[in-house]
Amino acid sequence: MSPDEIDRILSSGDRIAPASGFTTAVMEGVRRQAAEPPPLGFPWSRFTVGAIACIVLAAAGTVVVLRSAVSLSGLLAPLAPLAAAGPAVGKAALAVLASLTLARLPRLLARP
Amino acid sequence: MGEGDDDAADAARVVAGDLGAFEGIVRRWQGRLLALAWRFCRDRAAAEDMAQEAFVRAFRALATFRGDAAFSTWLTAIAVNTYRSRWRAAGPPLLSLDLAAALVSGPRALRGLQERERAEAVRRAVLSLPERYREAILVYYFEEKDVAEAARVLAVAEGTLKARLHRARALLKRRCAHLGPSAAGSGTEET
Repeated sequence: MSPDEIDRILSSGDRIAPASGFTTAVMEGVRRQAAEPPPLGFPWSRFTVGAIACIVLAAAGTVVVLRSAVSLSGLLAPLAPLAAAGPAVGKAALAVLASLTLARLPRLLARP
Repeated sequence: MGEGDDDAADAARVVAGDLGAFEGIVRRWQGRLLALAWRFCRDRAAAEDMAQEAFVRAFRALATFRGDAAFSTWLTAIAVNTYRSRWRAAGPPLLSLDLAAALVSGPRALRGLQERERAEAVRRAVLSLPERYREAILVYYFEEKDVAEAARVLAVAEGTLKARLHRARALLKRRCAHLGPSAAGSGTEET
């Protein structure tokens, strides 16, 4: 089939006329829509207050940490036992990951 | 008073609270929105349903119509978005051919049927294209090959639309290759 013929077919009039009750049906839908309460808007004012509060707290926390001159090693001290158990935690995490993969594998294979 | 003035006046009345004024908009544009919906799904019931949804969405969005674009462009863009959403939610339409009427009376009707089948096959092929190419073809031909208007409706640059049309035509040509040359347009092949 030539491009000209495709063009001719797609250019040809291809319409349907609305049914007699179409306008009425649309106006019913519009009236229903108008009767519904307006959708709730996004709470921008609350969101803005919350975002500003978060930024202020983060900035204040940063300033406090820098002024108190706490060394990084001091901050990380509570994590030392975890670091010691590093290999064991890694193996456990690997085992969990492998279990999840094996559980998921049949579903993935079953997908068309 | 032109059609555009009528639309602007009716839109202002609707926004002011006169719901009845929307009926004028529906009466003026129902043929166009229904025709476009028909091209998207080729099913009368579904087309009416889709066009109705497009009108309701237009009603909801009427307050946002500022008159920067022509009312027809604004409304057609809403319709295309509605039909696109419907397609994504419901999947491609199930197509059928009503051949019974054409099979009633002999070879002449059969030739008419073949032509109709070919035309229908091409339109089906359009519906099988990927979304961006399908919409480019549908809106371009719906807007009577007006690239600028089709680009405005689809909210893409004219160059983008031309590229999509080029790619869509190439895909269509490949997908319609099995249909062979037209009986009407290839008289020498028949002799």
